[in-house]
Amino acid sequence: MEITFILNRQKVRVDVPADITLLSLLRDYLHMTGTKVGCEVGECGACSVLLDGKLVDSCLVLAPQVEGREVITIEGVCAEDGSPSDLQKNFISAGAVQCGYCIPGMVMAGEALLRKTLKPTRSEIREALTGNLCRCTGYQQIVDAIEMTAKQRSQTQSGRDKNV
Amino acid sequence: MMKEMDYIRPNSIEEAVQILSDPGRRGKLLAGGTDLLVQKRVDPPDYDCFVDISRLSEIQQIRVSDGVFYLGAGVTHAVIAQDPLILKYVSFLAQACLSVGSPQIRNTGTLGGNVANAAACADSLPALVCLDAVAHLRSKRGERQMLVTELVKGPHETALETDELITHFTFLQPPPGVKTHFIKIGRRNAQSISRLSIAAMGRKDKNGNVDFIRICPGAATPRTMRFTEVETYLMGKQACEELYVDAGQRMAARMVEITGVRWSTEYKEVALKAITERVLREVLG
Ligand SMILES: Cc1cc2nc3c(=O)[nH]c(=O)nc-3n(C[C@H](O)[C@H](O)[C@H](O)COP(=O)(O)OP(=O)(O)OC[C@H]3O[C@@H](n4cnc5c(N)ncnc54)[C@H](O)[C@@H]3O)c2cc1C
Ligand code: FES
Ligand code: FES
Repeated sequence: MEITFILNRQKVRVDVPADITLLSLLRDYLHMTGTKVGCEVGECGACSVLLDGKLVDSCLVLAPQVEGREVITIEGVCAEDGSPSDLQKNFISAGAVQCGYCIPGMVMAGEALLRKTLKPTRSEIREALTGNLCRCTGYQQIVDAIEMTAKQRSQTQSGRDKNV
Repeated sequence: MMKEMDYIRPNSIEEAVQILSDPGRRGKLLAGGTDLLVQKRVDPPDYDCFVDISRLSEIQQIRVSDGVFYLGAGVTHAVIAQDPLILKYVSFLAQACLSVGSPQIRNTGTLGGNVANAAACADSLPALVCLDAVAHLRSKRGERQMLVTELVKGPHETALETDELITHFTFLQPPPGVKTHFIKIGRRNAQSISRLSIAAMGRKDKNGNVDFIRICPGAATPRTMRFTEVETYLMGKQACEELYVDAGQRMAARMVEITGVRWSTEYKEVALKAITERVLREVLG
């Protein structure tokens, strides 16, 4: 069936079977492989994307459900010039990346949290990551990276507020 | 050749039940998909058309009027967990929804899906049953209402017909001063033996005697139900530690009476006693 939606700020139209997941649509049909396949049953969060701004597991969204809606994947979170975003850079500098498999999902979960609040506590950050499994890092550095980004963004924001 | 799967997104309840009753297809309601799309990977589907109700605003409302709560079946766990009316009057339902899965699951999973799927460990059930919540069902044949405790007959077994849709739940706003609380132990992925929960509502009068109490354990018995024998026992008694301990023993004994002794009983008895004491301390303390 035909599906039209906004993917990383661009209008996309595809013709796919009605019973595939959003995860499969992204990877198998649109060849956007930044979003990872893990458990495919909602347990690991490797497939996390933003749907109308909300964090969801793309393995548990049916592709036709995104008709007319906005999807943001890891390919859509980079800085305007295409380089890694502040959050992604902080993942690297905090040493939060080992094998890297969980990282796209972790960045999406972090991004979803930072869109809601720039003053999260560490336990709020941990809570925001409960749907994302990492078998390498022990989460500590991932929490650090998100915390660091929150601080930086709230500083630039208050800087901006002062200037106006 | 296998028939290709269809997908329809009805714009109203009316249209949805029309599709469900169409003899030419076997429609299946799709809300958050967090149960359905997991099951589809395990069992070949016995339907040939997804009927997507995830955007039906008609079933996404939360309101209170004249002391009656109206809670749409399509409301997500994330919304319930933060809703001001829920938090103000029936906060244990918010606690239950906040305990579901992960942020991702709560952003899409719905109350209606939780009840219709009827897992033994469905977290919304104990609070809904405590509230004597009524499920409102719609089909082309008409409307009917059923207590949630009767709608859900046992693990993955409900009184829902295949052409029926839960539109919403209703229940009375608790009387002034009644506190509510929900406790869950164990993780979903841990063996089901270790999952157990409890919901309670309670109040004591100015003399410290229990004058309102309802208590319902989750995943303890095949059907989720209030333990009214224990409630009756508690009514009018002085709220104190000994009473909570006593009530815990009675809850465990009642559970064994209903389920018989099983391999998991020893663990569940201890756990149910402990969470009964804790929940009573919260609502009566
Ligand atoms: C990783 C993970 C963790 C989870 N953790 C928990 C947990 O901690 N606690 C818990 O309770 N659950 C948990 N669940 C289960 C699930 O998320 C919930 O049961 C959720 O509420 C289901 O709602 P849904 O909208 O996703 O239902 P769907 O999957 O869309 O539907 C489930 C079933 O209900 C039917 N249905 C849906 N809406 C209606 C309606 N309005 N009327 C009639 N039938 C309807 C569907 O046809 C289907 O048969 C978890 C699931 C996953 C994948
Ligand atoms: S692949 Fe979607 S949650 Fe694991
Ligand atoms: S870095 Fe390997 S799974 Fe997280």
